[in-house]
Order: sequence, then structure tokens, then C-alpha cells
Amino acid sequence: MKSVRDHLMFLLPLLAILLGIEFFLVFNRVTQSSEEKLRESYSILVVSEKAMSLKDFRRIDPHIAEAAPIPKARIAKEIARGMKNTPDREILAALPHFYNLHLDRYLSRQSVERIRQKLLAVKGIKKVETFGENHRAKYNLFLFLKIIFWSFVGLMGLVSIFLVVKQMEVWQMAHRERMQIMEIFGAPMLLRSGVLFRMGIVDALLATVITAGIFALLRYYYAPISGIEILMDRQALLFELKDVAILGGIALFIVISAVLTVAVKSRGPRE
Amino acid sequence: MANVITASKLTLAYDGGRKEIIKHASFSVRKGEFVFITGPSGSGKSTLLKSFYGALRPKEGKLTVGGLDMARIGQSKLLELRTHLGIIFQDYKLINEWTVEKNVVLPLIIAGYSTDIQQTQAKKLLRHVKLTEQADRYPLELSGGEQQRVGVARALSKNPFLILADEPTGNLDEYSSNVIWDLMENACDQLGSTVVVVTHRIPTIFNIPYRHFIIENKGIYEVR
Repeated sequence: MKSVRDHLMFLLPLLAILLGIEFFLVFNRVTQSSEEKLRESYSILVVSEKAMSLKDFRRIDPHIAEAAPIPKARIAKEIARGMKNTPDREILAALPHFYNLHLDRYLSRQSVERIRQKLLAVKGIKKVETFGENHRAKYNLFLFLKIIFWSFVGLMGLVSIFLVVKQMEVWQMAHRERMQIMEIFGAPMLLRSGVLFRMGIVDALLATVITAGIFALLRYYYAPISGIEILMDRQALLFELKDVAILGGIALFIVISAVLTVAVKSRGPRE
Repeated sequence: MANVITASKLTLAYDGGRKEIIKHASFSVRKGEFVFITGPSGSGKSTLLKSFYGALRPKEGKLTVGGLDMARIGQSKLLELRTHLGIIFQDYKLINEWTVEKNVVLPLIIAGYSTDIQQTQAKKLLRHVKLTEQADRYPLELSGGEQQRVGVARALSKNPFLILADEPTGNLDEYSSNVIWDLMENACDQLGSTVVVVTHRIPTIFNIPYRHFIIENKGIYEVR
């Protein structure tokens, strides 16, 4: 019973840390994928008197990833419909060049405005339309969600770290005398802290398996039948195999750091 | 005969060197000797013993134990030296979560001996200290005298070249004290271990010749 309690005292905060990290990984993937969708659907319209290539645009700002010319013929046809006496080719000749610019990632309002100003400063560019408002509202909602989520994960992490530190104090109280006696008889640090290492490593493995298990279940069993659009659309983002390695690595790092700290702090006095 | 402990103008101090306990002491202990160090309470007996197993570094002078300079010894060498010592404490220093048998074989566990060897040696030692029946019990279930016998068995478990005992019978009745002295006398006589005991009073039961140092006014003087 005491052994189960000893395990739980370390396992629970470790589990909270790993759950926070896995939430962070999943949230990051979801926001990245959503940002990518936003980026794909977002474009800047540029009207220029001279023909320009992607290279020209990238020279103006490296965030410009694509520059798609809008075929003038279609525009000329639209205009010609309302002007019976003017032939298409005259309209075509008089029309400036139109470009749809795509960015390498979704940028903040300020960054987009900076790009707009840079474009307008180029000789020959007559108009730049950023269609900001609709996308900006989505982006702001995104930022808000990110801040809320990171604050939550950060707070959870802090509380969990506090609990791990408390558990380290408990370990120190429970094991200091034994470790000091073993040190007097010449036991090296790894042998003195062997019990803690074994317990910590078991807890690290358990916490990793439980956390990975929860998210794997979400991905493979819950998400497909949940009826929640955002989960069904993004099933693959809910759990990836590499997460197990990340979680295991972090759990082992926490365990090794905690045990070594306790072992060093429990060393006998040597004046 | 070779010296196991050599001190030359040895000064020991606490509080970062400010509080001197032993000052400019010179003495030596030869291999196979049984040595008593006595002195009044607070004279520095336990401090001196601590310096022999490296829990306190000399402030000045030179101290060698088993040929190793205790002022310069590194952590790994010190731990190795300790595996060849048998140390007995007045407060026993047993691991209360471990059985008597496991406590006895602690030095063998540290040295990496196999479980078979540990069990054989534990049986032999527990028979020797008359605690065979208590092998599976825990230290807190034993009397003070029994706990100290476990401490002595642990100190003898790896045939140490040097046994250090700090008031080993300080808390014990006469019967238990006599058993402990017998065990240490045998270790010196039959195993050839060097034994250094710090105590406030030398028992009268001794059958073997011993040397006696006294600590007085921070100095160490041989009286016999």
C-alpha cells in the first residue's frame, strides 16, 4: 500500500506534466495546420503597370512565396461587355497587370501592412489590396486561443513542477539516512540512489504509456465516432508515434534530474 | 610492521577551519594493533575517527590511512577506501527498512558480491554474533545490544584491514558490551585487522595487549 502511494505521489505530477506537453504538441499541430489553411486561402492583390516575376516580388519581401498572374483576357472580356464600341484587344492593351500574392505563412496585421507599404513604394505598383479584415478576425481568435491555452499549460506545468519538488523533499527525508549510511560504507552515488532510480523510471514509463494511450485512444477510437467536426477533420494530428519518444525522453529527463538532485543533497557532510 | 594510520602535525577543525579540535598531533597505528583513544566528552575523539574515514579533511599537517593521503584523496578513491574499512557507531547506523541479514551484508552488496556469497557470509556472521534467529527481523524490532551486534557483524563482513569504532558500547548493558568487545578482540587477534576504538572508558575485560592514546588540550598523547 505504501509502495503504491509512493509511486502515485510522483506519478501524478509527472502525468500532469506529460499531459500538458502532449496537449501542447497536439495544439501546436492543430494551430499549424489551421494557420496553413488560412495562409493558403489568403492572398494579396497587386495591380502593377509593369510585368513582374516572383523573383521581383521576393526582392521586395521574402515572405512572398507565390505570385500568380491573373489572366488579363478574362478581365478584358468582362470590361468589354459594358463597352460595345471598344474592341477587346484595345482594352487588353490598356489594362495593367494583376497578381495574386501568397505568403509563406500567415502574418500578423502589422507585418502584412509593412509588406503593403513596401509594395506600394515600388515604382509601377498602383494598388495593393490585402483583404485584411475577414482573415484578421480569424487570426485574432487564433492568437487568443493560443494565449489561453499556453497560459493553462504553463500554470499546469508550474503546479506539477512544484509537486515534483515536494516529492523530491519527501524522497530526501525518507532516503537520506539510508543513503548516508551507504556512503559511509563506500557505496557510489548510483548504488545509493538505485531504489529511487528504479521507482522513478517505472513512474516515467507508466506516465508515458498512460499519456500516449489516452491520446492514441482519442485518435483511433473517439475522434472517428465523436461527431465533432474539428476532431474528425484532424484525427491524424491528435497522436503521432514520435510523441511517445518525446514524452518518454522528457519523463526520463525529469526523473534523472530529480533523483540526482536528491542524491547530491543527501550526501554526508565532508568538511 | 607497516603503519595503517600515520598522523604528522595533524590539525582538525570545524566551521571552515575556524574551530580547531585537534592541533599539531603526531601518532601512528601499526598493522594488527588494537588501539584505544580516550578523552573527556567533547575532546575530539569522534572528530578524529571521522577524519580516519574521510568525513573530515585535515586542516593542516598530514594524515594517511592505508597509505592514502586523506587531505588530497578524491571522492572515488575515498569510497573505495571505505569499502575496506569496518565502521561501528554508538548509534548503530543501521538501515531500518532493511532486514538484519541485509544490513549485515551491506559492504558485500556495495562490493558487488553475488547473492549466494552474501547469504553464506550473512549466516556465518549472524551465527558468530548469536543473531541467527533474528535474520529476517528489522533493526527496530531488536534491543540496543542486538542492534550493535548487527553493527559489528556488518563491520566484519568483508574482513576489513581497519576497524573504526566510535563508543561501540556507550549505550549497552554489561553483557552486550562484553560480547561486542569479544568480537572486536577476535577480529584483531584472528583476522589480523587493526582496530581503533574511541571511548570514554577502557573496559577491564581485555585479554590482548593494546595501545592507549589520550586526547587532552587538543593534543594526542600515548599513555601505554
